Amino acid sequence: MDLMKGTIKVAALLVLLLPQWGQASGGAALPVQEWGFKGIFGKFDEAALKRGAKVAVGVCMNCHSLKYIKFDQMRAFGLPEAEIEAMAKDSGRSRKDRMLSVMDAVSAKETYGIEPPDLSLMTKARKGYEDYAYGILTGYLTDQESADIKKAMEDGKLSETERMEVAHVLHMDPRHEDKLKEAITKLEGGGNFNKYFPGHFLAMPQPMQDGAVEYGDGTKASLEQLSRDVVTFLAWAAEPTAEQRKGMGIGVMIYLLVFTAMLYAVKRRIWAKVH
Amino acid sequence: MFKSIMEWVDARLPVSDLIKSQATEYPTPKNLNYWWNFGSLALFVLIVMLATGLFLAMHYKPDANLAFDSVEHIMRDVNFGWLLRYLHANGATFFFVCVYIHILRGMYYGSHRSPREILWWFGVIIFFALMGTAFMGYVLPWGQMSYWGAAVITNLVSAIPVVGEELVVWILGGFSVGDPTLNRFFVLHFLFPFVVFGLVILHMWALHAVHSNNPDGIDVHEGKDTLPFHPYYTIKDLYGVGVFLMVYLAFVFFAPNFFLEPDNYIPADPMKTPAHIVPEWYFLPFYAILRSIDFLGSFSKLAGVVAMGGAIAILFILPWLDRSPVRSFRYRPLSRQLFWVFVLDCFVLGWVGYNPADATLFDGALPLIVIGRTATAVYFSYFVGLWLVTVLKIEKPKPLPKSI
Ligand code: HEC
Ligand code: HEM
Repeated sequence: MDLMKGTIKVAALLVLLLPQWGQASGGAALPVQEWGFKGIFGKFDEAALKRGAKVAVGVCMNCHSLKYIKFDQMRAFGLPEAEIEAMAKDSGRSRKDRMLSVMDAVSAKETYGIEPPDLSLMTKARKGYEDYAYGILTGYLTDQESADIKKAMEDGKLSETERMEVAHVLHMDPRHEDKLKEAITKLEGGGNFNKYFPGHFLAMPQPMQDGAVEYGDGTKASLEQLSRDVVTFLAWAAEPTAEQRKGMGIGVMIYLLVFTAMLYAVKRRIWAKVH
Repeated sequence: MFKSIMEWVDARLPVSDLIKSQATEYPTPKNLNYWWNFGSLALFVLIVMLATGLFLAMHYKPDANLAFDSVEHIMRDVNFGWLLRYLHANGATFFFVCVYIHILRGMYYGSHRSPREILWWFGVIIFFALMGTAFMGYVLPWGQMSYWGAAVITNLVSAIPVVGEELVVWILGGFSVGDPTLNRFFVLHFLFPFVVFGLVILHMWALHAVHSNNPDGIDVHEGKDTLPFHPYYTIKDLYGVGVFLMVYLAFVFFAPNFFLEPDNYIPADPMKTPAHIVPEWYFLPFYAILRSIDFLGSFSKLAGVVAMGGAIAILFILPWLDRSPVRSFRYRPLSRQLFWVFVLDCFVLGWVGYNPADATLFDGALPLIVIGRTATAVYFSYFVGLWLVTVLKIEKPKPLPKSI
């Protein structure tokens, strides 16, 4: 099995090299989260989905649509019909309608210069997936961070230590002073800075703060909690069939394992006469 | 009952004879290893692609305004539509996995050498057709990568002297990728797999005329060295299908988007170029070769296209480049080393193709393009090297066994 030996060597070499395979990305490293719904056995937390739906409808849908989802579909994770009815009504629609933004595309474009992207596929449509969406929602500067930057720029100059500090807060490379200064100027001009958005400035103003939505189940609505919940909801919306897929996959794999083992046994038996 | 029907048919069309001579009793070398499974696996995937593609086509809409939505409709509303689409999308990936292993197997054991040249040619033609099919299929979901990938690749045609520019317009059905392009790519994507199927039949015909090579690369004596295909290789191939399905379906069910670019879940937008356009992984080495020719001024593009096409087309003449009296690299230490350098080089090319053209290593000290050019040179050097080593008889093959 000479070809096999070589293959194993090459494979081992590649496994060593593969971690270096990725490309250098411009943005900051994403805040990697544990998502209970990921992985082969992962399941969506229904309470989180219900809370997330509330955030999505109450906050995001002021600007964004979720056009591949109908209000009614949210019954899948146990949202009561009455609540769905109320959510739809708040957006001026019925529960059989698609979850479209209250804002129409034309006025959105006038206000933000860009049409807010549809969110139904958002967690599949960016590198970093759920972590990226979570990063965007939590990646705006806190009041403290804004104040720190203001203070550093008070004298109009950036000293060595200030430069390091500002670069750290902005998640940028301290070596590129001109880029840092450019970012600060934009910030002072009211630009929406985000640590994780490629290029750092985006058209979306910070969509929510602590307590943006009042949760009915007593969960504290911190920005992190709100973000986790809404991203969980977006992950569900991106592929409502994901749980069905994984469940079916487990059955198929068990079946294949047994079936293939049987085929192997038969193969051994038939070939026994030859070897 | 069945027997008498078969007799009636056989008297008119010798079906039983064909099955006997070409399938059940078809003599096959007894020492084939598991690398020989990948041919039947490729055929298996082709059938999966035909079946899933057919059902996808019943729900898909080849219209620039509807295509993206129709794929999401398949994913969300069609019963088991997600399964069809993930089987199909990952099927393309595993098709190439099988075909690449199948080709490398042939290169290693000298399966392209006389008398199997025509068999090998059909294989290379199938490979070309497969790449065309996959390229056009990738355009159909009409995401950002679909659109911009199509734009980049069709633009290469403009490198052809004199007629290039007009040819692009003719191919696209307009001055840029658009609705007419999508519509014709759909039609061709539907047609091509059936052409591939026809080519596979020719490939099999050629195979059955000259019979299988084997890991020792020596001629076999029918009877002593061979086994009837059934049950020996039917069961071995079936077992292979079982193992293969476990890997393929693990991706389909548990990581279906592993090989897909996130950008392709963004609807195509002709006004917005993605930051970084990457083709599907199976095109990456050839994409790297294309981009590595950038030093010939206005000829670079044409030269790049020729190099890219040549990288595959050179396989056509491989049976004549290798002049060794011995087929299998099992008995050819030097060729074997060249082979592994070649395989590693393909991965390096793939990595270069994956990264942006202007990327650098070590803080700008080493532009990736330099690695790309080197790896391209190494790619073609394999073929020249193999020829030199054998024509100058630099390599001393080890003694061959008398029989397998
Ligand atoms: C005030 C309007 C508004 C609200 C409210 C809003 N967004 Fe946005 N959002 C936008 C705009 C405008 C963009 C486009 C930004 C750009 O591309 O520069 C955007 C972009 C995004 C992006 C994509 C960033 C990228 O990589 O392209 C994500 C993710 C996102 N929003 C999530 C959310 C979520 C989740 C909510 C609800 C918690 C929300 N948004 C609420 C206006 C809004
Ligand atoms: C050689 C075999 C084939 C290959 C390699 C192939 C490859 C592909 C690829 C790579 C895609 C894009 C997948 C995605 O990202 O969504 C695709 C899509 C598609 N293919 Fe094929 N295909 C093959 C056979 C067929 C056949 C025989 C049909 C029809 C009879 C077909 C119909 C479709 C349709 C309708 C789509 C669009 C839906 C989608 O994007 O999922 N394919 N194909």
